[in-house]
Amino acid sequence: MLVVMKPHATPADVAAVEAKIRSLGLVPHSISGAQRVAIGITGNKGALDPALFEGMPGVRDAIRVSQPFKLVSREVKAEDTVIDVGGVSIGGARIAVVAGPCSVESREQLLEAARAVKQAGATFLRGGAYKPRTSPYEFQGLAEEGLKLLALAREETGLKVVTEAMDAETLPLVAEYADVVQIGARNMQNFSLLKRLGTIGKPVLLKRGPSATVREWLMAAEYVVSHGNARVALCERGIRTFETATRNTLDLNAVPLLKSLTHLPVVVDPSHGVGLRAFVPAMARAGIAAGADGLIVEVHPCPERALSDGQQSLTPAEFASLMEQVRVIAGAVGRPF
Amino acid sequence: MFIAMKPHATEAEFAAVVEKVRSLGLTPHPISGTERRVVAVVGNTGAVDPEDFSMLPGVAEAMRVSQPFKLVSREVKDEDTVVDVNGVQVGGKGIVVMAGPCSVESEEQILSAAEAVKKAGASFLRGGAYKPRTSPYEFQGLREEGLRLLALARERTGLPVVTEVMSTETVPLVAQYADVLQVGARNMQNYSLLERLGQVKKPVMLKRGLSATIREWLMAAEYIVAKGNPNVMLCERGIRTFETMTRNTLDINAVPVVKALSHLPVIVDPSHGIGLRRHVPAIARAAIAAGADGIIIEVHPRPEKALSDGHQSLDFAEFEELMRQARVIALAIGRPVR
Repeated sequence: MLVVMKPHATPADVAAVEAKIRSLGLVPHSISGAQRVAIGITGNKGALDPALFEGMPGVRDAIRVSQPFKLVSREVKAEDTVIDVGGVSIGGARIAVVAGPCSVESREQLLEAARAVKQAGATFLRGGAYKPRTSPYEFQGLAEEGLKLLALAREETGLKVVTEAMDAETLPLVAEYADVVQIGARNMQNFSLLKRLGTIGKPVLLKRGPSATVREWLMAAEYVVSHGNARVALCERGIRTFETATRNTLDLNAVPLLKSLTHLPVVVDPSHGVGLRAFVPAMARAGIAAGADGLIVEVHPCPERALSDGQQSLTPAEFASLMEQVRVIAGAVGRPF
Repeated sequence: MFIAMKPHATEAEFAAVVEKVRSLGLTPHPISGTERRVVAVVGNTGAVDPEDFSMLPGVAEAMRVSQPFKLVSREVKDEDTVVDVNGVQVGGKGIVVMAGPCSVESEEQILSAAEAVKKAGASFLRGGAYKPRTSPYEFQGLREEGLRLLALARERTGLPVVTEVMSTETVPLVAQYADVLQVGARNMQNYSLLERLGQVKKPVMLKRGLSATIREWLMAAEYIVAKGNPNVMLCERGIRTFETMTRNTLDINAVPVVKALSHLPVIVDPSHGIGLRRHVPAIARAAIAAGADGIIIEVHPRPEKALSDGHQSLDFAEFEELMRQARVIALAIGRPVR
């Protein structure tokens, strides 16, 4: 249920509603909008009676939320969520671009990639230190050494760092170095990890599972938000289908669909979404044209030597060209870039 | 296998190559580009040595085509195919917009839809007279009466007509009225129909099957071209996945992938691809940004009253707004909307 306060409700009115919710053994989640405060309620087993709140001072309305996801839904919060990451935002009018290598491999590789993507206009650096590889025999990432190199690259370029946390044990360490903690597709329904993300105080980039429906994905985001972390961005990275000519099938239908169902920012990953370097720019353009709030793109100084994802990584020159193309599309849909 | 002629090869040299192909029991398909002429060779070429051809006068090279699709592949023909439909070019620099109702329902409905989409800037009228409906109890289309109404709408507006042909039996009748013959998703691998369409003189728009891979789709196009009709355009209309919130999952990846593998024009159908009216414009924008040569959109005077696909059909005002957005994206990538 959602309790919607009147525009001029006082802090005391809000506090009284929150106290009433707690007295029922439930959890209040206050959501401040530009116009008014709304209070989401979670923890109830069945439907609550709106009459419990409707007569209280400052309350305009008490409404049932029809979707199974509550706090992330547009019904509960109509305005777009804008995540501030140390002065750079994800969501809002400006398109966010995250770029960098699949894996952090060495100091030279990461710094070269970071400088190149910064110069081309990216505002976030991506790079994996903990890598969820399909085969246990493949490069698993540099672990903490990789995180240190990411911090070094941030120091030199000013780019914010997006990197993946794979488990609850290493989450505190990753959160210490990262500006945005990425949850990979294979962990989208690792509910223990999702719950822990509620308490880290860093924004989360939640990738869609390869076989997750949009509804399941939003429920996963709901886990993070309901455990106390409202700064979640969603990342569409392609789903598993019968098609074998491409690595995944980028589901761009999900972009306008999500933008109508949720207030969370939506980022598109064309690198994993198509999986073939030649087609990444076209899919980046399509992602922005469909209404995505950002892109995450794999860039490597020398893709043919990459320890992971070389076939879908762009060279710095290819990335600069992609940025030019995306700038034009962003302009066409009226979004600064 | 394909045999590329030298730029200045003579007619006699070209004819000698074609004759040699025939003498081996194989079928030659001459393809003329602006740069050079190519003879694609279809049949069991396993025992033929390309060397036998590369030594002939006027031949630049002879090589095997690595893809299983031959005539539709970029390897055989590097230049984009441009299909001319009554003067409207599909697959060139311009982006074409096909629009109209899912089904032809009545004279008033098809004429008002045709006039509205024409006014908004569409260059083709779509409308089904033969409808492949999932349930046998649903509206099956007006059949020949529907074709006549489409012809009337063409007469009034000048818009060329795209309409579906469902069976080999009705190919002659539909071809008599239509400007572009559409093969629906459910018929993508109806090989008897594909072969029959190879013999008609009208362009064909081949929709992708619901569970067809890109390779299977291109092989289906190959059937039509191999039987003698090179005027084929492909239409991505969404594939079947596990996602249930949308009617299909539009595979926009397929746009740049098919453009790289094949010289045929690629059209995108956002209406079926997402199946939800309010999201059709966003997906139309994405398709154009990805490099599609055209879009096909369902438009109905009163979507809530439509006999089919009302939930994914736009009303006239919504279509005008879609056209405005499509023009902006097309302009951004340097392609005019025609």
